[in-house]
Order: sequence, then structure tokens, then C-alpha cells
Amino acid sequence: MDRVSALTMVQTIARTLDEEMARDERVVVLGEDVGKRGGVFLATEKLFDKYGPDRVIDSPLSEAAIIGAAVGMAAHGLRPVAEIQFADYVYPGFDQLVSQVAKLRYRSGGQFTAPLVVRMPAGGGVKGGHHHSQSPEAHFVHTAGLKVVFPSTPADARGLLKSAIRDDDPVVFMEPKRLYRAVKEELPDDPDALVPIGKAAVRRVGDDVVLVSYGGSMAETTRAAEALVEQGLSPHVIDLRSLAPWDEDTVLAAVARVGRVVLVSEAPKSASVMSEVAATIAEELLDQLLAPPLRVSGFDTPYPYAQDREYLPGPARIMRAVQRVLDY
Amino acid sequence: MILESQLFQPFTDEPIAVTSESGEWIAPFELDLGPDKLRRMYQDMLLGRAVDERMSRLQRQGKVSFVAPSGGHEGAQVGIAHALRAGHDWLFPYYRDVTLPLAIGVPVVEFVAQAMGTAADPSRARQMPYHASSKELNVFSAASPIASHIPPAAGCAISMKLRGTDQVTVCTFGDGSTSEGDWHAGVNFAGAQGAPIVFACQNNRYAISVGFEKQTGSDSIYTKAHAYGMPGYFVDGMDPLAAYYVMREAVQRARDGFGPALVELLVYRYGGHSSADDDSRYRPRAEVEAWRKRDPLARLRRFLTRRGLWDDAAEKEAEAVVRAQVDDAIAQAQAAGDVAVEAMFEDVLAEVPERLVKQRSELLG
Repeated sequence: MDRVSALTMVQTIARTLDEEMARDERVVVLGEDVGKRGGVFLATEKLFDKYGPDRVIDSPLSEAAIIGAAVGMAAHGLRPVAEIQFADYVYPGFDQLVSQVAKLRYRSGGQFTAPLVVRMPAGGGVKGGHHHSQSPEAHFVHTAGLKVVFPSTPADARGLLKSAIRDDDPVVFMEPKRLYRAVKEELPDDPDALVPIGKAAVRRVGDDVVLVSYGGSMAETTRAAEALVEQGLSPHVIDLRSLAPWDEDTVLAAVARVGRVVLVSEAPKSASVMSEVAATIAEELLDQLLAPPLRVSGFDTPYPYAQDREYLPGPARIMRAVQRVLDY
Repeated sequence: MILESQLFQPFTDEPIAVTSESGEWIAPFELDLGPDKLRRMYQDMLLGRAVDERMSRLQRQGKVSFVAPSGGHEGAQVGIAHALRAGHDWLFPYYRDVTLPLAIGVPVVEFVAQAMGTAADPSRARQMPYHASSKELNVFSAASPIASHIPPAAGCAISMKLRGTDQVTVCTFGDGSTSEGDWHAGVNFAGAQGAPIVFACQNNRYAISVGFEKQTGSDSIYTKAHAYGMPGYFVDGMDPLAAYYVMREAVQRARDGFGPALVELLVYRYGGHSSADDDSRYRPRAEVEAWRKRDPLARLRRFLTRRGLWDDAAEKEAEAVVRAQVDDAIAQAQAAGDVAVEAMFEDVLAEVPERLVKQRSELLG
């Protein structure tokens, strides 16, 4: 297969939007600064020059307007991709997500639908304080009617964004901003290389402990796994990629086989996505567990500024949890 | 921006009326509606009122869980409906719209079935009463959170402009809506984009119990249009033909590429906010009675009678037709039966996800 040059995640997102806009003229982009500026992170770079102001819409500074307008556009036949500049700023548009985006198909008995994507950079590690670092995915996962994905690699960002844009359901597309430029990846040239929503990726096959993570925390989880390998252990690493629906089959099969699992996410611990994963594991596999499922997570505080790195579940905390399940 | 065919100036101090209370034509231009259209508008109002009153009766009988009385709003709603190209333009309604969807062509049985929550409801009994919608007629699904439909309506209109479809979006709401952040968000975006949309406020001066003077420091809604770069029209909403003519001009203006408009239609709701409300706690009876004397049905009937287009016999016949229509719709809605329990798990997403399949089994065994 042909290869394009190696790209970072944020470059990949811009490239992918370009490919999808070229493929389907119903695809439009809207948000704050997505036009001439190309997005504050450059995730929509060059789209304005290529597609013009009708398809790359600089919106007013209003998340409710961005998400709400996307609903009307989608119901009318477009495929809007809305950008929320930071996940932390989604809350003025939260009612639109919950009351309009998520409910439209259901409340109209399937007469009207909102096939749209809401992209938003999320997560910490960039010294952004609590209003530029949060991981609000649990809100969306808790809302019936939304699909939620949170890739950790450029290739998955590309494949999942394509799937999200082509999906007939609304998709909240979360982007780990601290990994935007962390690595470059060579990507397939195939414009139809999709990553299915709802399928996890097994990053490493192992026998001693299952590590499950997603999004930004995949970086620390991967480092922890590498350290465990150096210690002579064999971790099994799963990247959820999709949070709603999440891949129960892949997770449960691995945990049933290994018997030990550590769930890593930087979102606050209480009522988190990983709480749901842990509960499902307990419901389905209690007899096969060799240790309780442990969560290593962000804390139930607002995201701090000075303790940016300490808040994140780093390799040391992950490894302590692994030790606990091994010693149990 | 001046339109050649412009009949009305925006931002008038007094509400625009084209007929007097006694039914005389008082506009400085000639009526251009034929007898059939004029009678149709009146019959639509009769139907809207009859459906609304019957739903209230069914509510008291326990056959409908809730109503949001629409009496007093019929004139504004029939004017809006007839200004649209039904099935071509889009309507983003709110819960007090009864005459409006019916006059656009939503079958009475669908409205009634929605209120009764039976299987004849195209929205599959998913919402409380007074939230009827129709994909076929581009009547968007109303949502209860006030003003949450304003940004989607703006987006729909932006899409119409982008796709060059020659369509117009009309979005209705009450005076309380204008206080929500989403109202500003949607109207502002539509203004910035010059989108083909008409925002039509049915100002009945009460948001449940809160009077207009507590809703805003402004003495009107239409003047707010200034701030969004669009014309604001102030209309006597108890004058059905004024509602029609102003809406027709605003819709045509939007269709011709001149952008959005805000139309404030002064109306009154004769009933409480809903069947769960007791409006005697906050409204003097004398006020209600004074507004009832300005009834939009009576006004249009007087207009028709003066022109020899209506008489007592016609009224009697029309009432019988409407009664039969409503009886028939209720019978059909009831005959359709209940929606299956398992339908609860459908339409969450395009396909029922595995997790919901399991939850469905948990319920059904």
C-alpha cells in the first residue's frame, strides 16, 4: 500500500478532514477559529483556503450555537463536524448535546436524526489548569444517544474520525491534546481505511496482568507496560479507543484469561468510564478474577495547575497498582 | 436593504394590524387573498381550537397526561402557517403550537395520537403531549427545554443557504424563551450568517406565572432584533391577517436572500400555562376576559361576514365538520393501540447496541 509521509495526530486530523470533505460535499466544519486561523491547534489547517467560508464556518464564540447549529445542519442533510476549542468549554453547549443531539432520533421516533461529529481536545499534561485540562467523557458516555470515541494514535484518530463522519449517529470525538504532537506515524494512503467504532485495540499480548486505558493515558500506560516487561513480566495492553459503545468482548475475554486487570484513565475516579468497565468486569467475571479490578485515575479534585503531572496517573502509580493485583 | 414589494416597516411603535376589531380592512394596501384562502384560514383556526379544547377535555378524563392550552394563539399560528410553503420550508415549533402544525397539514390523527401516546404517533409515543412532529412536512421535533431549538433552527437555515435550496426556516417560541442563552446563541448565529430564517415570538406576556416585566428590562421583544442586525416586526397577533401578511413578507425576504427577521406577535393564552398550572394565582380574571373579547377567531369571522364570505349556516357546518374530524382522529388514534414495550430500546442509535440488547432481555426475560 502507498504510504504518505509521517504525520502527528493533529496533522492527521487536518488531513483526514480534508479527505472527508473532498469525498463528500455534505461534510462541513464549524467552530471558533476553524477558518483562516485553521484552529488554535491547527486541526483544521488549510481547509478554509481549499473549501471556503461556506464549508469551513467561523462561528460566533458560542458552544451552544456551534453544537446546536450542527444539529439543524445535520437534520437538514449536511454532515457537520463541529470543533469545540477545548473540552473544558463544552458546557455552554452541553444542553444542546444532551437535549438535542442525543435525543433527536429517539424523541422523533427516528423521523429526524443528527449525524454529526463534535470534536474536542481533552485531557491534561499541558499546564492548562482546570479549564484547559479536563476529561469530561463520562458525561457523554452517561448520555444515551451519543457515541463517544477517544483515540490515542494518529492512525486511530484518522480511522475513527472517518468512521465518525460517515456514521448515522452523533459522535463525540475526543482528542488527547498532550499527544497531538507527541509522535509521528506513517499512515495508509487508502482514503477508506476506517477504524470501526466500538472496537478496542490490543497493543500488546501478555499473560500476567491486563492494562486497559484510552486517550492521553495510553502514553503512561504504555510506559508502565514497557517497565513491567523490563522486570520480566508480561502485561496485556488494551486501548479502548471507543468509550460508547466500548468493546466488552475484547476486555472481558482478556480479563477472563489473565484474571488480573488495572484500569487506567486520567478522568476523575468517581463515576468514571473505568468505573463502568470495572463494574461490568465484576458482574461478568467475578469467579474468574484473581484480584479485584483496580482503577488508577485522576483524582476527585478539579484539575490542578501546579500539580499538573502528579494528577495524571503516571507509570509509578500504574506499577504500584499492578503490584497490588499481582500480590493479591 | 429595501424590497420593492415591501408592505411593512420594521420597528413600528404600535403593533401592526390589517383588520380592525370589528373586522374592517384597515391596511393601506389591497387584500390579495381569495375567498377560499380566507375561509381556509378561518377553518384552520376552528380546527386548532377544537383539537386544543378536546385535548383539555381528554386530559381531565385522564386520557391525555398533559396539555399546554393554545387558545388565544390561533391567529398568530394560522398566519405563520399560511406564510410558509408547507412541506418545503421547515418549521421549528414549540409546545404551544397546535393550529400551526395542523394548518401546515399535520394530520389531526397524528397530533392526537402524539398527545395520547398511541401507536399512530409518528414519533412513537416518545414524548409528552403537545410535541407533535412530521418528517414529511418538515415540522421538526419539539424539545421541552426552552429555546433549545433555536440554535438547531439557525443551523437548518444556514444549511439551506449553503445548499441553495430556496427554503426558509421558521422558528416559533414564547416570550420566556428570549431569556435563555440558547436564544441569543441561535439568533446571533443566524444574524451573523444572514441565514434564511424568521424567528416568530408568540408573546403572551407570561412564562408560566412570570410576567413580561420580570422577564426582561426591555419593553418589547422585536426591538431586540436591532442588536442582531435584522429587522424586528411588531404585530397584533390577535389579527390573523396581520400575522399572515407580516410573516409572508418576512419569509419572502428571507427566501430572497435578505437574511433573517424577528417577528413579535402579541397574543394571549386564555388558559393556564398547562394542565398542571393554576393561573388564578397570578392573573386577574378581568385581564383574561378583556383579552378574550379580542379573540382572533371572532375577528376573522367578522371580517369574513362583512365580505359576505361567511354566515351562521357556514359556521354551523364548519363546526360539525371539525367535530367529526376530531372524533374520527381520536377514534383512529385509540384504535392504533399502544406502542410495544420493547420499542423503548429502539431509535436510541441507528442500530440497537449490544448493551441495550442485553438490557432489553433483562426486561423481557
